[in-house]
Amino acid sequence: MIYSSTYYTDLFGVDVPTMEQIIATALGHGGDYADLFFERTVSRNLLLRDSEVSSGGAHVDYGVGIRVLKGDKTGYAYSESTRLPDMLAAARAASAIAQGVPPTEPRPTVSFRGMPNPAADRYPMQKDWRDCPMDTFPPLLQDLEARIRRRDERVMKVIAMLTSQVSDVLMFNVQGELKYDTRPMGTLAVSVIYGQGKNIQNNHVSRSFRCGAEMLGDALLDELADEAVRGITNRLEARRPKGGKMPVVMGAGASGILLHEAMGHAFEADFNRKGQSIFSDRMGTRVCREGITIVDDATLPGNRGSLNFDDEGVPGQRTCMVEDGILTSFLHDRLSAAHYGVKPTGNGRRESFRFNPIPRMRATYMESGDARPEDLIAAVKKGIYVDEFANGQVKIGEGDFTFYVKSGFLIEDGRLTRPVTDINIIGNGPQALADIQAVGNDGKVDPGAWTCGKEQQVPVSCGIPTVLVRELTVGGE
Amino acid sequence: MNSEPIIPWSITPEEEALAGDCLSRALACGADGVRITLNKSLMDLILLRNGSMDKVTHSGDRSMTFCLFVGGRFGTFSTNRFEADELERFLTEAVATTRMLAPDSWRKLPEPSRLVHDAVTGRELGLCDPAYAAMTPEERIRLVREASCFERIRPEGYTLISEETEYSDSVSDLLILDSNGLHARHTETSFELGCEYTIADPDGHKISGYWWDSAPMRADLQTASVCPTALERALAQMGSDQVPGGKYTVVVENEVASKLLNPLLGALSGYSLQQNNSFLTDSLGKKVFCEGFTLRDIPRTTGANGTRYFDSEGVATRNTDIITGGVVRNYFLNTYIAGKMGLDPTQEDCFKPLVMPWWSFGPQPAQMGREEILSACGEGILVTGFNGGNCNSATGDFSYGIEGFAFKDGERRPVHGMVMTGNMIHLWNNLIAAGTDIRPCMNKQVPTLAFKDIDFSA
Repeated sequence: MIYSSTYYTDLFGVDVPTMEQIIATALGHGGDYADLFFERTVSRNLLLRDSEVSSGGAHVDYGVGIRVLKGDKTGYAYSESTRLPDMLAAARAASAIAQGVPPTEPRPTVSFRGMPNPAADRYPMQKDWRDCPMDTFPPLLQDLEARIRRRDERVMKVIAMLTSQVSDVLMFNVQGELKYDTRPMGTLAVSVIYGQGKNIQNNHVSRSFRCGAEMLGDALLDELADEAVRGITNRLEARRPKGGKMPVVMGAGASGILLHEAMGHAFEADFNRKGQSIFSDRMGTRVCREGITIVDDATLPGNRGSLNFDDEGVPGQRTCMVEDGILTSFLHDRLSAAHYGVKPTGNGRRESFRFNPIPRMRATYMESGDARPEDLIAAVKKGIYVDEFANGQVKIGEGDFTFYVKSGFLIEDGRLTRPVTDINIIGNGPQALADIQAVGNDGKVDPGAWTCGKEQQVPVSCGIPTVLVRELTVGGE
Repeated sequence: MNSEPIIPWSITPEEEALAGDCLSRALACGADGVRITLNKSLMDLILLRNGSMDKVTHSGDRSMTFCLFVGGRFGTFSTNRFEADELERFLTEAVATTRMLAPDSWRKLPEPSRLVHDAVTGRELGLCDPAYAAMTPEERIRLVREASCFERIRPEGYTLISEETEYSDSVSDLLILDSNGLHARHTETSFELGCEYTIADPDGHKISGYWWDSAPMRADLQTASVCPTALERALAQMGSDQVPGGKYTVVVENEVASKLLNPLLGALSGYSLQQNNSFLTDSLGKKVFCEGFTLRDIPRTTGANGTRYFDSEGVATRNTDIITGGVVRNYFLNTYIAGKMGLDPTQEDCFKPLVMPWWSFGPQPAQMGREEILSACGEGILVTGFNGGNCNSATGDFSYGIEGFAFKDGERRPVHGMVMTGNMIHLWNNLIAAGTDIRPCMNKQVPTLAFKDIDFSA
């Protein structure tokens, strides 16, 4: 959503001459670049527990972040007030990075003047969350619980949470670029506890979109209710399999978290700039078989990871990291782009005005291949099919990753047989990428509330088609 | 006359008065009960990369959180805008919003008899270092430069890719008030140094090693050992491999052992228990774990990281037995959850857990550190890091990726890419040793632990 520039300048009580004064102060000790990031975020939440919406609240966060770059060095400070003396004090604190740092060669900077065409606005709000009375929503959460309980009587407890967030942001930099944006986010999440006798299990599902309250409707409630109870019987019967090395088929959609963690982070340019990533010296080389394309995308309408601009004012865009098996681009913010002498890719993101931007993913996914998903399963004599991953972690330098399998199946003689749960899959990112043997034709971006926690929390999405990996280690009994 | 230096960014008398005004304002708007928490924090950070300054940040935060009880209803609201007109509008809307929620008879302020009375100045716990006021940008730079080893390292048999050394110091100041007369404060400073090395072995495989230290008092921060220890930990992982899967005795180093305690603390939380989402449901007073497992909460320990005189409701904390001889003695229940469960409230969280020493190998030695435990175990896997994994909160089933060493009769070789699986109740029933080598810098006081018969896959 993009309003007029005066909406933002009035909101923060600033004008261009004032912002220029702050930039000049930030560069008072030198530096190649400086920028300002104003933000006001209003978030609201409602919680249903024990069948009552008896808890909720609202939160306001407001301030401005001031950054100075000198070569690869960063100075950063922020103020929770937009009174001029407070902003100038923060600018002086950020300017400290240039003190005592030897001069560097000035680097070319890239300008992105002008606004995107409003028609390309990726998240217009039909119903602004801020204008919706809070009493609109409790009946909706109770309706969701009723739909879940109607679907399966083994459900013992339901916790449902509706969260909305709307951020107004204004960005200004030393080149005089002025960018502004209003970013909505609505998230409906539900946890169910269900059981049979003494066997108690839980399940957590969510939907999250950059849009207004128009996202809430019958279709969404039914979709969440279906997913909340899907596979309950399997989960109650699921057992740990015997561990060892075996082929793994990853289901379409949410398995994309493995792509995000095990490969995507290693493609972020800050790790590569510092030589720490396992992919640091592999640009332009083959990293997986032909036909595999991996994308990080800010342009999907209403997607949780989408952006009109990133948090440095660079237009949101679609970045191809791996094209037909060849590593073609890292994910850049302005700093790393200047380091590599390339254009920023719109990946400079931050949690809030309290943080300096760093290269971060948006919606990361693998494009569809040409195999039928059932053929991938049929090709495995003994292995694991993974429905849902959780709690992934990767070591950027080593490339080693570990992912917790929340639900899946044993594959025996090309068929899904027994349900499995509570196991880990471990492997090495580049090796797993190279070991992808086939890619399904069912690519899907998962609509869940994924949040990436690299130093700061930012909303992201992930996706993948059904994929067959030759061999990974499965932890079991 | 008070000669203590003024800590920068601490709560001012004007801000304290503003919080009091907000409390009155909320009551005037129609709230029956109000709790206000005013938080301020200030942090400075310097990051050196390869011995050169890479990043400096300066962060000053403040916020006010309002818990409102209105006609049997409850809402939580927060803002960092302290202008009087903004606050008035915010509070009026907050009270109106709370009226839209469903009534919940269990939502109430804690009984005044449970509130803390001995946290008046915020400094009673000895966590606020007057030396913080004297920290200057120059001193911070000097400190981190001295700690960095980059210029002194002469790599042999490996390539040094990067050294990142980060120093930060901070102060946080918290004031909590409620309409039942609660008025308490907690102030603490923190000094922290961390270092991470990325190296490459002769085959080009990258390995990283990390170490850190933290203390409330500047003089207690161990600066000289952080970078050398981080490098040592990276070098020790060179040439790592896997060992065959099977059942092993596992020794979990004190640096990472709290990972195995966290699921237990979560399972003893009232919110998990009340929602049937806990593998320790109905465990109070029962012997669930082995005889040697004793866990205490010691939140009133003066001068120790993580200690608190009161929880987020302002309820006074107590040093408490959580598990003694394997018997569960305590749940963590705030006023709301205790009411719903029909139990007496305790405190809402475990602030300073302490795992007591235990030795199943015969007479207990005076020193029980990692090396003594490895020696007593003889053979197994030493875990020095976890890489991902999860514990199912309802069942206690866990699966964690690990790195560390396979050890046998004093020899050890690095391993990685292995998975440790099991169930939390089974794991803590198989505890065979809990050491005495607690790291003072850690909030959770968990020493090196040893467990028998644990499944590993590779």
